[in-house]
Order: sequence, then structure tokens, then C-alpha cells
Amino acid sequence: MSRERRSAGFYVLAVFFTLFVIFLYGPISTILILSFQGPEGGLTFPMRGFSFHWFTRLFQQQAVGDFGGSFSRSLFLGLMVMITTVVVSLLAGLAFRRRFKGSALLFYLAIASLIVPSILVGLGVGITFQVLGIRPNWFTSGFGAHLTWTLPFGLLIMFAVFNRFNRSYEEAARDLGASPWQTFRNVVLPLILPSLIGVGLFGFTLSYDEFARSRMTMGSFNTLPLEITGMTTNVTTPVLYALGTVTTVFSLLVIGGALAAILLLRRRSARRA
Amino acid sequence: MTRILSRASAYLQALPLTVILLFFLVLPIGMLLVVSFWDYDFIRMYPDFIWLNYDEVVNSAVTWRVYGNTLKYCLIVWALCLFIGFWVAYFLAFHVRTLTMQMALFLICTVPFLTSNVIRMISWVPLLGRNGLLNQTLQNMGLIDEPLEFLLFSDFAVILAMVHLFTLFMVVPIFNTMMRIDRSLIEAARDGGANGLQILWNVIIPLTKPGIAIGSIFIVTLVMGDFVTTRFMSGGQSASVGSIISNQMGLLQYPSAAANAVILLIIVLVMVGAILRFVNIRKEL
Amino acid sequence: MTDEIRTTVKLGKTKEKGLSRRSLLKGAAAVGGAALGSGAITGFPTIWAQNIRNITLRQFGTGVSNQNAVADKVREDLGFSLQMTALDSDAVSQRAVTQPDSYDIADIEYWICKKVFPAGVMQPMDVSRLTYYDQLVPLFIDGKLTPESTIAQGTAPHTVGFVEGPDSVTFASTPTNWMTMIPTIYNADTLGIRPDLVGRPITSWADIMDPAFRGKTSIINVPSIGIMDAAMIAEAMGRVTYVDKGNMTQAEIDATVEVLLEAKRAGQFRAFWTSFDESVNLMASGEVVIQSMWSPAVAAVRSRGIPCTYQPLQEGYRAWGGGLGLAKHLSGLELDAAYEYINWYMSGWVGAYLNRQGYYSACLATAREYMSEDEWGFWMEGQPAQGDILAPDGTVMERAGAVRDGGSFEDRMGAVACWNSVMDEDRYMVRRWNEFIAA
Repeated sequence: MSRERRSAGFYVLAVFFTLFVIFLYGPISTILILSFQGPEGGLTFPMRGFSFHWFTRLFQQQAVGDFGGSFSRSLFLGLMVMITTVVVSLLAGLAFRRRFKGSALLFYLAIASLIVPSILVGLGVGITFQVLGIRPNWFTSGFGAHLTWTLPFGLLIMFAVFNRFNRSYEEAARDLGASPWQTFRNVVLPLILPSLIGVGLFGFTLSYDEFARSRMTMGSFNTLPLEITGMTTNVTTPVLYALGTVTTVFSLLVIGGALAAILLLRRRSARRA
Repeated sequence: MTRILSRASAYLQALPLTVILLFFLVLPIGMLLVVSFWDYDFIRMYPDFIWLNYDEVVNSAVTWRVYGNTLKYCLIVWALCLFIGFWVAYFLAFHVRTLTMQMALFLICTVPFLTSNVIRMISWVPLLGRNGLLNQTLQNMGLIDEPLEFLLFSDFAVILAMVHLFTLFMVVPIFNTMMRIDRSLIEAARDGGANGLQILWNVIIPLTKPGIAIGSIFIVTLVMGDFVTTRFMSGGQSASVGSIISNQMGLLQYPSAAANAVILLIIVLVMVGAILRFVNIRKEL
Repeated sequence: MTDEIRTTVKLGKTKEKGLSRRSLLKGAAAVGGAALGSGAITGFPTIWAQNIRNITLRQFGTGVSNQNAVADKVREDLGFSLQMTALDSDAVSQRAVTQPDSYDIADIEYWICKKVFPAGVMQPMDVSRLTYYDQLVPLFIDGKLTPESTIAQGTAPHTVGFVEGPDSVTFASTPTNWMTMIPTIYNADTLGIRPDLVGRPITSWADIMDPAFRGKTSIINVPSIGIMDAAMIAEAMGRVTYVDKGNMTQAEIDATVEVLLEAKRAGQFRAFWTSFDESVNLMASGEVVIQSMWSPAVAAVRSRGIPCTYQPLQEGYRAWGGGLGLAKHLSGLELDAAYEYINWYMSGWVGAYLNRQGYYSACLATAREYMSEDEWGFWMEGQPAQGDILAPDGTVMERAGAVRDGGSFEDRMGAVACWNSVMDEDRYMVRRWNEFIAA
């Protein structure tokens, strides 16, 4: 069902979508501009000169806080949460396709996990570890606290995926003699793969940017959002904006690179075919 | 035999989620629930069983004003996110033709969220402030004489920032259900003589309902539990349930924070229950 | 005897740089401490020098004093590691109480100490092991800056500075041998103004309520501190009279909140700030022209080329103080290292470092040794700067000829009207504060 020509609706929605993207990048625009503040400039307008000063400062030691350590903690934690979220919510999503005892309870538990205010979950997890005599750490209590946040999202997205999932594909595979594993591996997985990537992306960004659940669960050391918040208890500088600019530009480059690679691979395989 | 096996595998598949939620949610919250009945003064908490904490929450005009305020945010943000989210998802699902392009556009939408929210919150000030980018631009264009003050530290700013933060949570589930819609249904409707509006109203929207419901659950829970956005964007001038809880926690008044949270939990569960009554998202799994 | 060993260990450690002025000073100070006959600076084990490098102390607090330069200097001077974690002020008190295992040294404010110490998560310090105890500013011992001064209202540091015994969590009313925290940093806060935008002299806390500044004012949104700002304002306006601002009755709280509510309804406030950084941004961006502010925040605005004054007011200042406390779980070598660290902290380098940012050190005599005559004159004595005054990072903070707002140490700390407080009616106060924010 390919449509040869674009309808008027396409252009209206394309404009709408573009406006939406501009809106999303609104705050990023001030970050971008102000990261080039002169050495004497602050976090707000007016601009006091133009320089790359804050980009150099980004890679030096700050007066308060430590970007390198907190960034790597956030990154690893985000990746751990991402993988776990994808696997666990996929499994749970598959489980929910069948009737099983306690499924309603589990479902509401997952919903509750979403609703209970984040600060409270964080506090509760922190206290639980203290009471049990386990030293809180970003990769134990912090990890768990983030999962209570990302898993319900993952699960609900899996619901959206498996909703109206056409079972006839699976039945066809089974009729052709495929084992349940083969059916899953060769039929179901390819169909839901894009959504799984979406779940992973969600998991990573939610964890990477999580603040309230992290506050009481990271043990002695901070993740990036906590570190930045800690830094705002003293004079902060456009270094923060430089960090934002670098993050944004770097992510865009990665996306652009991946896109180019995909297109290149596709062209090459097309030529070979 | 295979039926038993498949039953067992369902339990096995649900096990990791169950274990994680039991340990990191039920146990900690259970602990706090106990605390919500404790007594406290300016120094410490005393194990007890009192209703005073609940009494103070329920019988205070402030509580209900704050809940009213939070619900107001919730309703407005939900409506805006639904409208924007639906059309963005629609564009991505029906107008963007290749999967690669869809992924790329999605990724472009997520990039702003990789810069820490703390930094983004700070950056709203130079964007929307009295001498900010937007006001300066509008003044230079001659559209306004005086800077618009309502842009920052107001309800407008809170709602704007929330829509900014949460719309994608609506886009993703709606997009996922739209992708699952059998395109032949649309073709059939078109062949049957339905116009675009009719197809939208009678085919696409009903089939997208589960996605809308899931997105709505996200938005409702995110807005009801928020405390950072409200505090920051209103300049601390208006309160949400979350900010009240966080204030109480900051001063170590855990029992009343816990009591407040229990009430919040009940209210949001009722709201989610209502959404699920409207659309049973588990029915068709 | 043992002091000699300690001194030589110290000197040995800095030998790669030759005999620096500071190691000599330290030696002299240690000997001085012994001369006072406290006799308790004993038991610094000789294995110290070898084992100490393996020790890591974890400290947490707000970014105000958890600065990396201090950790670097600890590594250089003492040889062990100090890992610092900066948190927001709400998180600080919660971390202190609910996760005592996650830190060794707590860097907290005195009003937070009033809540945290009774929870039994910290251990008091043995005064006889504190080398510089006798040189502490008396404000932290008996609450008086000079023998004639009156004690300010609120949670004055000395009221929560001591407990009755090594295992006690009850605050002592007079100095004992057991100190809850060693005072490190404090200051007197007042209103910060944009002299270019207010357009008239500001002399009183009440000026923040002037309708001329409608929509251009701010106060701090941390209940325990904000209520004190509010009390200073309400009292200055003549709207409320307090028996003790630091320990209000319910009626006084009601009256204070009423004043705030009226102003809020009239649109007097632009925003309320919670972090240091927010107050700087509000002022620098011109969103606000008059607000309660910290001295270094004023300096930060000024360093961006924007005029900003830390305005002394006739009613006096609202003061705050912070210190270092020891976690309950510390023992053995780690505890020794913690004492070593604390004594080092008071020995002058950090004091000078904090003084240069506009805060005050609790051990002024030692800090002075690390400051130039000009710096001391500018920051402490209220004299015009002879040359440029530099910030710790080397940038120019004030030009020659500048005089510090508010004048000398005595002028400022001698005019403290109240300290940040935890009141008996704290619970009620927070409820009313939330009401004010929600209105």
C-alpha cells in the first residue's frame, strides 16, 4: 500500500511535526547560545563576549563536583537499566499474553510502581537497605529503584505492542513445525524488535535523567543529575551549558552516523543483489 | 502436557518482574506505610498507631487546594499531550514510510532529553525570562512593548514545561498501537467510500484507544507525582502534592509525608481505574 | 614527646617541597597545643605514616563547603583521600539520618544538626583531641562574639554544639568535653539588591515589601530559613512582635505567614529560590531586584559585571553556621584520620580559603596566617583593598579601593539578629509554610 503522491495532510502534519521538534529543542537553543559565553559570563543573558572558554573548563576539575565520575556512573547505570528493562518487560509482556493466576495483581502492582511518588520509593529503598544492613550503592539500591520506574513503562509499551498482535503469524509458524523458541526467535522477535529498541531507549533516558528516585539510593556517590544539583548549591557557570551542548551535538552525530551507516549498508546489499 | 508447560512458562516469564517489584517496591513502601501511622515531633519519630497524620492531611483546606491545583495541571497537560502526541504519532506511523526514518525521527526527538533535566530547567530562565530570548525577540520584532511576565514563574510556565517533558510519553504508546493497525482495514474503508475524517473517527481512533489509554496513564502518573517541574517553573509560587511531600521529607517529617503519599496513591489509582474502565488495555492481549 | 613525633612526621611528609611555611606553622601550633597542657594529643600511632595512605574518608554536604580544592589539599598535606559528595540541602539532612553508613564525615548546618544528632547517627568529638579548640570563635562556645554581646535568637550554634557525654544525644546547655560538630563555616545573610534597579536607598528588611518592587522580589523557599527571613521582614514592618523569632508560638507563626500570604496575593514576589545558583540567576537576569541572599552569591552576580550590593540593614542579619560531624560507625585508624583531618581543617588553609569567598572561618587566628595583610584587611576588618582582591580561582573579585559590604567581621557577626532555626512548633510551621506556597 504505497501512496505515490503526498496528500495535503502530509504537509500539514509535517509542519506540525517540525514545530513540535522546534518546541522540544527550545530550551536547548538557549543552552547552545549561552554555552559560548565569555569567561565572565553567567547562566543568563546578557552575553558577555563570545568564547570556547567553558568547553575547555568542562574537561578540567570543577570547583564543586566531578563530571567524569558521575557521568560514567550514570552511563553504566543507564545501560544496566536499559538491558534489564528490555529483557524483563519482554518476558512479562509474553507472560501477560496468557492467563495466569495473580496476573491482575501483578498488573496493578506495576501500575502502583508508576504512581507511588518517586521521592518516596527512593526513600523507602534507601531505608530498606539500611535496615537490612546492606550498604546502598548505585549498582544495587540505585539500580533497583530505577527499575521500579522503567519496568512499568516497559511493560505498558509491551502491552501496546502485543495488543492487536496478529496471532496468525505464530500459528502459521507452528503449523509449519516450528518449535516455540523458533517461532519466537524467527517470527515474533523481528516483528517487535523496533518496539524493543524503543523500550530500551525509554529505559536508558529515564534512568539517565532520574533524580527523585536516585537521591536516597545511590549510596556515597552521585549520578550525574545528583551531581549537577549538588553543584547548584554553589556558584555554577556556563560549564553546565557546555555539557548540554556537547551532549546534544554528540548524540546528533551518533544518530547521523548510524543513519548513514544503515543507508550505506543497504545500498551495498542492494547493489550486491 | 504442553498446556502445563505453557502455564508454567507464563509464571517463569512473570517471575523477574514480580521479584523486582516485591523487593524494591512492596517492601520499601510497606515500611513507609507503617511509618505513616507513627508520631513525630521536631526531632524524631515514635512508633505508634495514630490517625493524626491522616487527620491533618484530610482535614486541611490546603491539601484539597493543592490536589485541586495538581488536578488542574493534570487535566490541561493531558489534553495538550493527547492532541500533540496523537498527531505526531499519526504523522510518524502513517506518513513516514520507512522504519529507518521513523527511528531517526524518534531519536531526534529524544536527544533534548539526554541533557540533564536540571540543566534544562535552568535554561528556561534565559529563554522565557523578562530579559530572555523570547521576550527580546518579540520586542525586537515590535510585537510587544513590555516584556511578557507570564512566560516564566507562572502556571503557564509549569504547563509548558510539563507538556515539553511528557508529550513523548503519549507519542510512543500511540505510535506502537498505530503500527499494529492492519493497513488493509484502512484500504477497505477507503474502498467503501469513507472520507479521511470518517476513517480517522471510525477506524483509526477506536483501534488506537489502548495506546491512548496507556499514554494517559503515563501522563496522569507523571503529573500527579511531579515536584521538580512545578517548583522550578512556578518559581516556588505554587505547590503540587509532590512538592508538599518533598518539603515534609526535607524536614524529616516522614510520617506525614507517608500519609500524604498514601492518599495520593489512592487518588491516582482511582483515576487509572477510570481510564481502564474506559479502555481495557489487557483485554486483547 | 608524641607531639614531637607528630611534628617530624608532618615535616617529613612535606619534605619534597622543602620546609614550607605551613609545615612550620603546623609544628608550632601542635607544640603550642601541648604547651597549653591539654595533655590529650596523645596516641598518634607511629604506624600512622605508613597506613594512612590507604584511608579514604567520605564526606558529604552542600556545595558551599564541599569544594574539590579542599580534597586536593588533604591529599597533599595529610596523604589520605577525602572523597566529597555535594548534595542539595534537602537531601543532606535525609542522607545524614537515613543512611549513616554512606558517609564518614557529615558537613551540615547547625539547624540540621539539631534534627540529625538526636537520631543517634553521629558520635560527638572529644574536645581534648581538638588541637585548635581554644582558638575557636567564642560564638560557637557560649554564643557570644565578645563577652558583652547578647546571644542572638534562633538555633544558635552553641545551643546544639555540645552533648552531655560520649554516648549522649542530649544537647548540653553549657560547654562539655563532647562536641557535636566542629564549626567550620558561617556567615550573616541579608538582602541583596540591584543598586541600578531599585532606585532608592534600602535600609530595612521591610523594604522588600515596598509596592514599588511588586513582582521583583524573592525570598528563600527552604522553610526553616525562609520563615526567619519572613520574621525579620514582619518584625521590621511592625506587623508582628516576637518573644523569640527562633522559637515562635503558633500565633506568631500564623501572623508571620499572614504577612507573607498578603504579599503573595498582591503579587509582590517574582519567585522563591532554593539553591544558591537560583538566587544568582534570578538577580543576574534581572528577574528580581531585591531578595534575601548570601554574600558569595552577591559576589557571583558582581563577578559577571552586574552591579549587586549585599545591603546591611538596621535590624541586623540572619546568620547560619555549619560544621563537620563524625559518623557513628567511625573507629580505629579511620577515626584517628578523621580527627587528623578536622585538626588540619582548623589549621588555617581552609579557613583562609573560605574567608576569601566571603564566608567566615571558625578559627580566625590560624586563617589569618594564610591570608595577606591586604586580604585580611579587606575581608575581616572592613578596610579598603590596597590591591585587587582575587577569588580562590585567581580571578579578580574586587578592584583596589573597594570596601566590603557590611564592613568588618565584628560589624557583621556582631549584628546578628537571629540564626536559622528549628522550632518546637516546627511541624506546625511547615504546615503553614506549605499553605503559603500553595496559596
